[in-house]
Amino acid sequence: MPERLRVVCYVNQFFGQIGGEEKAGVEPLSRDGAVGAARAVQQALGDAGTVVATVICGDNYAAEQSDRALAAMVALVAAAKPDLVVAGPAFLAGRYGVACGALCAAVQAQLTVPAVTGMHAENPGVDLYRRSVYIVQTGAEATRMLPEAQRLVALGLKLARGEKIGAPAAEGYFARGVTRNVVTETTAAERATAMLLDKLAGRPFASEVPRPSFASVPAPRLVKTLEGATIALVTDGGLVPKGNPDGIEALNATRYGAYSIEGKDALDAAQYENPHRGYDTTWVKQDPHRLVPVDVARELEQRGAIGKLHETVYSTVGVATTLAQSARMGAEIAEKLRAAGVDAVILTST
Amino acid sequence: MTPVAVMVGANRIVPAAGIIHPLGNAELSPDDEKALRRRIVEQALQALRTEVAKPTVFSSA
Amino acid sequence: MRLELRWFEVRELTVAPATALAGAPARLTGGRLEVDLEALRAQLSTDPRLAGVRLDAVHPGERVRIGRVFDVIAPRAKLDGGVDFPGVLGPIAKAGHGRTAAIAGVAVVATDQQSDQVAGALAVIDMAGPNAELSRFGRTHNLVISAWPAAGTARSEYLAAVRLAALKAGVVLAQAARDAEPARTEVFELPPSPRVPAELAHLPRVAYVFQIHSHQRPTGVDEGILYGDPIRRMLPTIVHPNEVLDGGVVRGFMGRNATTWAIQHHPIIRSLYARHGRTLWFAGVVVTVAHATEPERVRSAFLTAGLVAHTLGADGAILTKIGGGAPHVDMAQAAAHCEALGVKTTVIVEDMSTDGSAEGMILFDFPGVDAMVNVGGGQELLAFPAMERVIGADDLAPKLSGEMRATYGTLCGAIEQIGATTMMAEVR
Repeated sequence: MPERLRVVCYVNQFFGQIGGEEKAGVEPLSRDGAVGAARAVQQALGDAGTVVATVICGDNYAAEQSDRALAAMVALVAAAKPDLVVAGPAFLAGRYGVACGALCAAVQAQLTVPAVTGMHAENPGVDLYRRSVYIVQTGAEATRMLPEAQRLVALGLKLARGEKIGAPAAEGYFARGVTRNVVTETTAAERATAMLLDKLAGRPFASEVPRPSFASVPAPRLVKTLEGATIALVTDGGLVPKGNPDGIEALNATRYGAYSIEGKDALDAAQYENPHRGYDTTWVKQDPHRLVPVDVARELEQRGAIGKLHETVYSTVGVATTLAQSARMGAEIAEKLRAAGVDAVILTST
Repeated sequence: MTPVAVMVGANRIVPAAGIIHPLGNAELSPDDEKALRRRIVEQALQALRTEVAKPTVFSSA
Repeated sequence: MRLELRWFEVRELTVAPATALAGAPARLTGGRLEVDLEALRAQLSTDPRLAGVRLDAVHPGERVRIGRVFDVIAPRAKLDGGVDFPGVLGPIAKAGHGRTAAIAGVAVVATDQQSDQVAGALAVIDMAGPNAELSRFGRTHNLVISAWPAAGTARSEYLAAVRLAALKAGVVLAQAARDAEPARTEVFELPPSPRVPAELAHLPRVAYVFQIHSHQRPTGVDEGILYGDPIRRMLPTIVHPNEVLDGGVVRGFMGRNATTWAIQHHPIIRSLYARHGRTLWFAGVVVTVAHATEPERVRSAFLTAGLVAHTLGADGAILTKIGGGAPHVDMAQAAAHCEALGVKTTVIVEDMSTDGSAEGMILFDFPGVDAMVNVGGGQELLAFPAMERVIGADDLAPKLSGEMRATYGTLCGAIEQIGATTMMAEVR
């Protein structure tokens, strides 16, 4: 028999039996053993584990003082030395769900203790935390506490024991939006043929790749005339000065560089190189203007077609770059350009 | 790549001259190559002064 | 057109002294293939582009890691005077008909002694341990070719020489089976596309669109891919599926998750053949390249869809890609044009995400291109246990023999973009 696991539960003031909305400002506290809804978790655990402590926090306090609440709750959890944290289930309660997700994420990251929570599909905590936390899908209301707690506990025990976690549908958690290589029964070619025959026959088929969805970005209007505007050049095609001073990675980049073109009417190929591994850079190395059109932009500036060419070119390598890094680098570059009074950007991409 | 730019929601998109030399073409004479580059940059400026509500491809044709 | 693959199962690959084989470089006896490595080495060393050639035979279960893997070739030899790898190894001739000796259980592994070590460029094969289970080439007896460039040999010439040596070696091995009786015979026979018997006319017609190169890295002069053509300006072209299986198409020098071995065993062509006349009618194969410029890409997508819909008269098509991100979009654009013409499509993609996020899996979103199979994520990390020996990468032996973490893409044969493998990136 494996040892009984030490489990810490987190519940809000209501499920912790402190009170209703009037007690939603209660600061985090810890009670020994299973209190309130945590008793259902204890029941679901049976001999597999013991709820050693129940951490309780008011919903308003958790929402309004989120940083302080989280730090305090993590400390309370740590003090109980758990093997597993079970938060909620929060059902459709929004503030509660967000707090459950935040606590699980923090416990995993800071204490390296596995954590599981549960909530309804429309709880805002799902969208915020399903990428980093196992969130079991529950009903909207606490009408069937024990069966819901049993499902949280079943997944939680697997996590605590380091057992293999199955697919979202099989285990009942929200897809975390992460991918993992698995070995399947048949080759991709066989699956493709079968999928096509299903599609041709009008039968349902399950694509193995979700369709991407990107948030739309409102297009700003150029408020000045071009003749009065400062224009910057940015590229993800990898042009860097010789020696790649910022060490921009050849693929999967996390860095970008800011390079001055002050006093340059054109770029001297001998002074540049290109670490980009996503395309054959021979032609761009021969003539960097094939990527960053400083020559033409300078002429337009001198002709007065644009007010000013910004004297700094930003460059990174866009190949196999993660969306998260791209978004971060883009935001940082945009912030610097705005601070420098740039009105518009021409971004050249390969 | 224009389809990628549209998918990720870039708002003003100007098709350029290719992955390996977006603003050039080694097969052209230096003068013609620079003229090609000028056309693409001017197209980009034209796009910048155009109001758009969604990802829009500004074709040079 | 009718192609007969005569299969010989080899269970044992042994190195024989020169005198034992009576002048032949290889001999097949039952399931045992004996090779005179010295004679074969001498034969491969005559290429003036190569300064030295080394051959090693390695076997499943040996604690060996093959390093610097460039390509893997299946041993095949044409019989009855047919031409092996026409346009690359032999003169240009029609591939895909007649009889071909095919050896199962053995692979020729070509290494690239110049490949740089930057992440993603170095491929390995493990002959033992968990990763031997993940790649087919961990379960074959492998003849490993290490060849070094002669002074003054350009990169593309060197790779051409290495590939040629591997094709030659594969032919030599398979020629040992020339006069033997095969264990089984596999017949590939497909009539001209329009000739469907009336009783089978109800079957859905399915085409395969095979992207065979991506010009994000233009091919070298010696980089023959389709009958020896570097396909620099190739427009979509219809070929008979047998031509693909029988040496008419070999992989280019850009080797991301693709081997010539997989093309020689093309899993989609075989899958469509297996169902041909039963649940579908195999309408034909279109080979395409991914282009580096917008007009070429759009033109290719239109022409591909036109061939699939109007010439092959297909109801459905499967599309695959080769290379990285740009060809991914190229393939999808062709699929979108097929859908626009009423041809239903399934595409096979690689999970392009580099941080394991499902949002980063693909780089396109076209109407109708909604049936996607994936071959897994090449960027996910995989543990490699320590091995006793390193073959094919003497210079990297200290590093490669130890425990390491590298990507799935590093393990040659774990992921094949044309769908020969069972890996899949599951969204969790």
